Amino acid sequence: MVSDSINASIPSVPKDFGKKKRANRSAKLKQCKLDARREQWLSQGAVKSKGCREELMGPRGLPQQIHEEGRKDPLENLQMRRLGRRVGEDENENGSIHHDFDSDSPSNSPTGSSVLGGNDSGTNFTASISGSSTSGSSVGCCSGCITEEDEEGDDNCLDDWEAMADALAANDDDNKLENHNDDNNPCLELQSSLEHESIVQLDGNLGSYHENLTEDRSVPPRVTPGNSRAWRPDDALRPQSLPNLSKQHSFPNTDRHYGQGVLAWGCVSGVNVPSACPICTEDLDFTDASFRPCSCGFQVCLFCHKKMLELDGRCPNCRELYKNDPVEVEASVLGGSLTLKLARSCSMRS
Amino acid sequence: MIDFARVQKELQECSRDIEASGIKVATKSDNLARLTGTISGPIGTPYEGGTFQIDINLPDGYPFEPPKMQFATKVWHPNISSQSGAICLDILKDQWSPALTLKTALLSVQALLSAPEPDDPQDAVVAQQYLRDYQTFVGTARYWTETFAKASSLGVEEKVQKLVEMGFPEALARSALESVGGDENLALEKLLSG
Repeated sequence: MVSDSINASIPSVPKDFGKKKRANRSAKLKQCKLDARREQWLSQGAVKSKGCREELMGPRGLPQQIHEEGRKDPLENLQMRRLGRRVGEDENENGSIHHDFDSDSPSNSPTGSSVLGGNDSGTNFTASISGSSTSGSSVGCCSGCITEEDEEGDDNCLDDWEAMADALAANDDDNKLENHNDDNNPCLELQSSLEHESIVQLDGNLGSYHENLTEDRSVPPRVTPGNSRAWRPDDALRPQSLPNLSKQHSFPNTDRHYGQGVLAWGCVSGVNVPSACPICTEDLDFTDASFRPCSCGFQVCLFCHKKMLELDGRCPNCRELYKNDPVEVEASVLGGSLTLKLARSCSMRS
Repeated sequence: MIDFARVQKELQECSRDIEASGIKVATKSDNLARLTGTISGPIGTPYEGGTFQIDINLPDGYPFEPPKMQFATKVWHPNISSQSGAICLDILKDQWSPALTLKTALLSVQALLSAPEPDDPQDAVVAQQYLRDYQTFVGTARYWTETFAKASSLGVEEKVQKLVEMGFPEALARSALESVGGDENLALEKLLSG
């Protein structure tokens, strides 16, 4: 279920980002591991954490072992806390544990899952777009953790992690090919993938990764029926905000998310969007690229559209009269910029 | 103001697949507003084998206004003036769309050569002939193609006429021109020496 949504979302991400994503993923995995370790240090004695560390070092065995470990209290706390945050449950009872998370992400506030998702994904994309290889949701936290790990000097487990990240990337590539044809709405998919990505990152959720890794590698998950640590799709108590393809689209938009993430991603997207206006041959900017004045799908830049409205007001492609309200295919996606676009196209007629 | 960036791009586009389309667009001078298009006569028509030059003048409003096109090569066709070369084609008038290009417009002109519309004529005389005596029309159109639209025949008539006016028999003048490859002075020398 979780891995489904992740797989479905990743393919539409432009190839340019493959490398960064890979870096992101290994960073995420690392962060996930480090988080677990950190939580144990904070809530338990050094003895127990050492035991966990040895388990964490095991090649490819991490998720399951973490999961088993998670049945004991520290990771249970970690997991429950993060899931709990998403459904808006009281998180303060674990306050001592997640102080690092909250203090490092100033935009976080326990105001509900969706807002958190939006905010954090905004942070996330800023991070990944600027070329940082640290994963986004808790940039500060993550880098802190990495430093910590560097100080410890026990990097010998990293090779395994990177091998795992490679395998995941390979899986993603396959899915990318499969799903490439049906993304007739690249922005929408892009965005959904962004949200998936960000939410998985935000969760840093061992449970999510557990499911993801086990399903991807066809290893039967070692989840016992009575185990409630990892949410199953049919679980009645499963938080609504766990990554779910159908849920992603209904997430409320937040300005920060769209102001940064989508704009930057939109520039590198352009999967099915013509790069230049067919009339004036000028390159389409982001607003032009998402501007569809006619239901036939013929795209022109705003300048040419204005000129054609001044002339006969017909679409140059299908010769139909331009309707008063231009079709905004990505209206639901573009959120914040929607008003701007509508205002511009309306002003053309006045 | 003409969108020269677009014109430039169209010219590049045309020169790229000149073999495939058989459509050529070239500038007459440095001025991108005055161009010459070249199309070949469609196979299976009286225009087959001919190469037709079309003068193109781009109005200021191009591409929002249609390019002005007229045949520079004389052509016998109901929708093309046998006198001025003016073309009667809707997409060059009210049906123009900025999504069309010089190349697509020239392709349409080429299509017009193979599908005359005598009911909406530009040249009434040609249209009458087309409707009443199709065979004669075909003969005349083919003759005009041979005479005016073949590279080897370009300007030959005038040269022959000059030589005839000088007093040489037409057949002799014609063969002399052919033997020297169309050069008027060489043909005259040949006629004088021969």
